[in-house]
Amino acid sequence: MPRNLKIAFAIMGVAVLIGLIGLRGLHDRVKSLAEAQAQKTEAQSRREVLAPKISTPSDTEEQVNIFWAAGPGKVEPVEVELPLSADPVERAKEVLQELILNPPTQDQRTIPADTTVLGFYILPDGTAVADFSVALTSEMPSGILSEQNAVNSLVKTLAANVPGLRRLKILVHGQEVETLAGHVDLTGFFDLNAAAPQKAAASQSAPASVPASAASATAGAPKPQG
Amino acid sequence: MMPAGFALSRRMRAALRAAADSVMILRVRRLFACAALCLVPLACVALQTGQQPSSPAQAPAPQADQPRQPSTAQKVLPLIVLDPGHGGTDTGARGSGGTTEKDVVLQFARVARSEFERLGFRVVMTRSDDSDPSDDDRAAIANASANAIYLTIHAGSTGALGTARAYYGQFSSSPAASAGSSLVPWRHAQDSYSNASHRLADLIQVELDRQFSGSPASSTGAAVRDLRSVAAPAVAVEVSTMSVTDPTPLLAMAGPLAVALTRAVADFHQAPLAPAAAGKP
Repeated sequence: MPRNLKIAFAIMGVAVLIGLIGLRGLHDRVKSLAEAQAQKTEAQSRREVLAPKISTPSDTEEQVNIFWAAGPGKVEPVEVELPLSADPVERAKEVLQELILNPPTQDQRTIPADTTVLGFYILPDGTAVADFSVALTSEMPSGILSEQNAVNSLVKTLAANVPGLRRLKILVHGQEVETLAGHVDLTGFFDLNAAAPQKAAASQSAPASVPASAASATAGAPKPQG
Repeated sequence: MMPAGFALSRRMRAALRAAADSVMILRVRRLFACAALCLVPLACVALQTGQQPSSPAQAPAPQADQPRQPSTAQKVLPLIVLDPGHGGTDTGARGSGGTTEKDVVLQFARVARSEFERLGFRVVMTRSDDSDPSDDDRAAIANASANAIYLTIHAGSTGALGTARAYYGQFSSSPAASAGSSLVPWRHAQDSYSNASHRLADLIQVELDRQFSGSPASSTGAAVRDLRSVAAPAVAVEVSTMSVTDPTPLLAMAGPLAVALTRAVADFHQAPLAPAAAGKP
């Protein structure tokens, strides 16, 4: 056998060997990813079981728009059918729970999965107070963009599905906190009126999370207290 | 013997510094109206002695939202306050390779500082090491200057790698401020500068879009805590993303980011307000 042919066979043999080793690594990687995916699903199922089911006698099946992430700095409505209460407080809890628990994909998630709604109150002047568990801040990805998206999804989802709300105050474990995860200020209120007319449309990040007075000044609405 | 004009201007500077250190920010409009009144006799003294007024306190009196428009012949460059976000135990976002936002943005700020200084701007950084001043302490540096621009730099954990966004502050306005009170609480310091900040953010976003393709075309209003207490045109810039194993492409954004910031600030210096807004009373 000519020497050149021998060298060629040797190179091909080495290449096949490397390919086999690589193929094995690739197989292991695919397997581990599949397992991780299965674990995520299990964790999600566990949360769904553990989360107390919110339902009232007045619940009726309705089409609602839940605002999940649709790319960087953008939230868009996804129409889902939910049993919703006629009571605005229960209704708000139901849509917030749906927003947290059931994003269509993990990429569309805006609120950390372990977040729970501890309480929801509506004051006589239309101010909504949403009280979340600490996971809202502790598990939130850090950054203006991600925090702004989270606030937008909350504001737009409430504005689109719970009538009569004027502005939103976000609490964490019953307390006012300075920021969501180091960037977006939570000491003020977020205007729900500004978000309401856009409920059916795809929406950019900016307008919804404008704090109450700034947004209403833009829209020419009566000026709320700061 | 010390000239009368010099002594008077030192007194005025001391008064300005004291006002900036107080818990409440004295609204600059009234402060500088007083300063302008004091400058009339001072200018007379200077003319009599053949000297030109030259101290910083003799710069034209700025006003909220229509402030920094000195005459074309005498446009004083603003002080650039560069704020690398986070620091110390507050690491900010973390990359999967262990890179921290506090280190990345400090590097960005250092490069931007060099670029601004090369163009003749005076620059102050709110931190130049691994310290973590409070948000209000950072803001106080800009608030102590009569002619400052505040730029806070962040690196987020989301968004497409190699893009950047500019944010201007949108906060609840103060009832006291709207009632015409001369005192503005710290938390509402940015309110009077919202138009100027919006203009600056738009200019920065245009430059960011040029430097980093895929960035948005226009700036975004957000309740960014870092901007809340700043009594000056102020913008937060966030680059994406910290969610990378290898920070090399992220760190490579430092140069273009510095170019974008300096170009935008130079444009803003020429026209602090958009043409439509500038005509408003």
